[in-house]
Amino acid sequence: MAALLLLLLTGVNAYEALTLPLEGKRLFNDMLMPGQVSAWFNTLMTGCTLLYVMLSGRDIRKVGNHVADYFALIFFTLCGLYILSSYNTLLMLFLGIEILSIPQYILAGADKRNLKSSEASLKYFLMGSFSTGILLMGIALLYGAMGTFHISEFSFPTTELFSPLALAGILLIVVAFGFKVSAAPMHLWTPDVYDGAPTPFASYMATVMKVAAFYAFIRLFHNSLGSVSNKWMLVIMIITAATLLIGNITAVFQQSVKRMLAYSSIAQAGFMLFAVLSVNELGRQSLIIYAVAYTLATVGMFTVLAKLKDYTYDGFNGLAKSNPMLAFATAIFIFSLAGIPLTGGFMAKYYAVSALMTQGNAMWLVLFGLLMAAVSVYYYFRVIWAMYFKPGTPQLHEPMTTTDNWLLLFTASLVILVGVAPQLVLAFA
Amino acid sequence: MTGMIQYAWLVPLFPLAGFLINGLGWRSLSRKMGATIGSLSVLVPFIISLLIFLDVRTGSNSVLSYFPFIQSDGLNIPFAFQIDSLSSLFLLIITGIGFLIHVYSAGYMAEDDGIVKFFAFLNLFVFSMLLLVMGANYLIMFIGWEGVGLCSYLLIGFWYKNQDYTSAGRKAFVMNRIGDLGFIVGMLLTLYCYGTLSYSSLFPQIGSANDLVSTNAKEWIALCFFIGAIGKSAQIPLFTWLPDAMAGPTPVSALIHAATMVTAGIYMIARSHLLYDATPITREIIAWIGLATALLTATIALRQYDIKKVLAYSTVSQLGFMFIALGCGAYTTAVFHVLTHAFFKALLFLGAGSVIHAMGGEQDMRQMGGLGKKMRITQITFLIACLAISGIPGFSGFFSKDEIVSAAFAHGKMLYAGALLGSMLTAFYMFRLYTLTFTGGFRGTHDQEHHLHESPATMTFPLIVLAILSVFGGYIGLPAVMSSHHLLSSFLGLNGAVVNQPDFLKSFEALHHQEWTLIAISSIVAIAASIAGWAAHRKPAFSANKGLALAFEKKWWVDELYDAIIVRPFLALSSAFDRGVERKGIDGLVNGTGKLVRWSAERMRLLQSGQVGYYLFVMVIGIALLLAIGFFGNPF
Repeated sequence: MAALLLLLLTGVNAYEALTLPLEGKRLFNDMLMPGQVSAWFNTLMTGCTLLYVMLSGRDIRKVGNHVADYFALIFFTLCGLYILSSYNTLLMLFLGIEILSIPQYILAGADKRNLKSSEASLKYFLMGSFSTGILLMGIALLYGAMGTFHISEFSFPTTELFSPLALAGILLIVVAFGFKVSAAPMHLWTPDVYDGAPTPFASYMATVMKVAAFYAFIRLFHNSLGSVSNKWMLVIMIITAATLLIGNITAVFQQSVKRMLAYSSIAQAGFMLFAVLSVNELGRQSLIIYAVAYTLATVGMFTVLAKLKDYTYDGFNGLAKSNPMLAFATAIFIFSLAGIPLTGGFMAKYYAVSALMTQGNAMWLVLFGLLMAAVSVYYYFRVIWAMYFKPGTPQLHEPMTTTDNWLLLFTASLVILVGVAPQLVLAFA
Repeated sequence: MTGMIQYAWLVPLFPLAGFLINGLGWRSLSRKMGATIGSLSVLVPFIISLLIFLDVRTGSNSVLSYFPFIQSDGLNIPFAFQIDSLSSLFLLIITGIGFLIHVYSAGYMAEDDGIVKFFAFLNLFVFSMLLLVMGANYLIMFIGWEGVGLCSYLLIGFWYKNQDYTSAGRKAFVMNRIGDLGFIVGMLLTLYCYGTLSYSSLFPQIGSANDLVSTNAKEWIALCFFIGAIGKSAQIPLFTWLPDAMAGPTPVSALIHAATMVTAGIYMIARSHLLYDATPITREIIAWIGLATALLTATIALRQYDIKKVLAYSTVSQLGFMFIALGCGAYTTAVFHVLTHAFFKALLFLGAGSVIHAMGGEQDMRQMGGLGKKMRITQITFLIACLAISGIPGFSGFFSKDEIVSAAFAHGKMLYAGALLGSMLTAFYMFRLYTLTFTGGFRGTHDQEHHLHESPATMTFPLIVLAILSVFGGYIGLPAVMSSHHLLSSFLGLNGAVVNQPDFLKSFEALHHQEWTLIAISSIVAIAASIAGWAAHRKPAFSANKGLALAFEKKWWVDELYDAIIVRPFLALSSAFDRGVERKGIDGLVNGTGKLVRWSAERMRLLQSGQVGYYLFVMVIGIALLLAIGFFGNPF
């Protein structure tokens, strides 16, 4: 049922992407302004959700008794995503972020009998509330300075007379977004929550939710605040560098693949921040490619993880012998996350780096990012090493079905497709 | 484009197909199949080459462009073949002798497990060699040039289980690479100066009115190409690889290391004769290096005991003769000697192979003697080859070598004396070889004597054909006093493919009245030296060599010299780099980075305490810092 509905939603969004004007159409008293690009982004993300539901459907059903609720919450999240991709006022931005986040708090605690799950949910909720407060504060200050919520009506005086009120508002919004996309130093919740939450939901949190927040991020900062980018550029640069450093370095020491993926999602956020920093067309395109490539590979990895009993690296030992198809698909996902050519991850990193280079202000950050990408190969490839070069018999919760295998291979082939033909992803972007 | 020439692309196609079939199917093909495919894929091109040759003789020639090979801004190198008298002659040599040697190999290698692979390599060699001579620009030539080097390496080390053989292969490859570097630099200089590598657009520029390139630059280009030739054609100082290359199976020595590949350098210079016409200094260098090589290696050949080693040094020495001719500007003479040398040297090697086959792998002449009684065909054909190489009047070698000696005379008296000495040494060591091997009493073990037998027909047939060619091959180039019509040089001169240097031609023609004298002198020298060589070794006594003879036997210690001044310092340097820079410096840096990452990972992990209060505290600190930076630290 859920899959059918998602299919329908994908179709509707694709239709919208074909018919909506590029500059956008004003809806609900100017509250929303969906355009071609945002509809296309919705299409892609709904499609990814569809794939996610098909891949993890069985795992979702196993989490608890309230299966219908879980799916409903996933649809709420999607609703938040649609608002975030087309908001035109700061109020709708706030509404979207909350609609996106609140279902996640609940999903994180879905495994009620598991203490870790409840702990994750509570931690997430507490810290999320904190960041909500910061976001509201930022919006209030910005409203105070601008006199309007409509982001398309923002106008800034010449730089010397730039209002400190507006600057404070912008920086607080940056911090709040940083929390949602788990950028350092607002990332600390991420490993604990991903680790504690039921695996299929951690997967959704790490992908669609994070990507939606990113899209909202650039929607505000590229268009309305793009003209004053010199005011917020340095802060985001520092955040990016810190995110890349902490995400990658900390991932090196993890013993659990699930925790490693949590840190990797922080590290990947560092690269997606490149898109925010670049403030250009290429940056937006790079975010969309990154969103798709990262979502596909991460959802794939979490799906594999949900099948295994042991989440540590040792749990992967000898997987290539016992489940060659599973291991092969995993290898593709890992390659993509590490940014090896021919996979979507490579193209995503390539676009992100070239966007930032076109912008030209932060060459040191480009170099630093590439250095950190090299570090990331270390912890990603440990999985491949375990699967292909270590002896062992991995324990699966239940044997893989043919459908599972083929769906994973299909996802892996999509990862390759994005790497070979990124222009498909950019059809309407 | 007329007649057969337009089918020239078929010529290299067959060996390539043969290589692919044998190379891919070497596990599944039977020995007979492999040998048949290998031989046929050279026979068919030989027939085509023959038809092309007949076409070219009527005066047609052309450049066949197939597709653009390298195309970039201002640089356009097509994949093209040039068919003219020079390349068609080499086509005949390569495919003709190549075919005979393929047939011979079918018998020689019949017992070897790797015979199919062997034929695959041989086919690949023929393909590369054809590319080398057919290419219409230096780049295509270079592809073939590298290809034959590779095949030579593969075939020298064909019996790869023997450590010495593989290091001989490696030595050949490395020495060739040194020469190749010269070739590459030459190509780049040509491109830089003339903007093209195609013969048809390059050579007309040289020496024409609008040739703005200085003579010095031309000398450098010519010298660089000559360095390439030094490597491939085994001249001083890069000659030591060729004797070692005898580690390969004997048919390989015959085809690659005597008849074809090593003459690539001569082909290249003959092909570029218009360039060398304009560079007298380089030609002088060529002539003297040729002479030095011819003499040095001829002396070494005097005191070698390995039958193939003697032939190897003799090959180097003969190549030296060809370079003397090139240096004098007598390009057609050099090509003439390439041709006759291909006949008799291939014959000598194949004969030696037949002997080694009969002796069960023994190559030391001290163990031989009196083989003539058991192997009549081998003996007679071998004798013919010895007569030919020694320059006995009437045999092919006489005509070509006499032409070289005359050319040297026209060039200068010193060169003439040297060349004459060289041909005297040649005759002496060849008859030493013949006498030790085929006459007298048998000196080997009883088992070996029992095993002696004439080789099978697949091996004797090529011997006979080559013997006939060794006798009559010289009549296409009679000296001017005997006939006013030099068939070879008029053929090579068609459409100006190869023409001797103009100044040289003048001084050569001035010699006509002395020619009978010169012929008489070189004939007497050759005959006397041959008899001396025979007489001195009729009753051999092998005592330890002393003095000069020891220097000959030890090859003038050239290998040891290279080892001491190049190889060992180089090894010492690289091991110093290995220990100092690689292990301490680079490894230290790399491992140090890894350690740093792990160390900081361990520290950073501790940030993650699991306490929400602590997390919020970190966040607040972070926000405060970011706000401070945003407000006060903004450089933009």
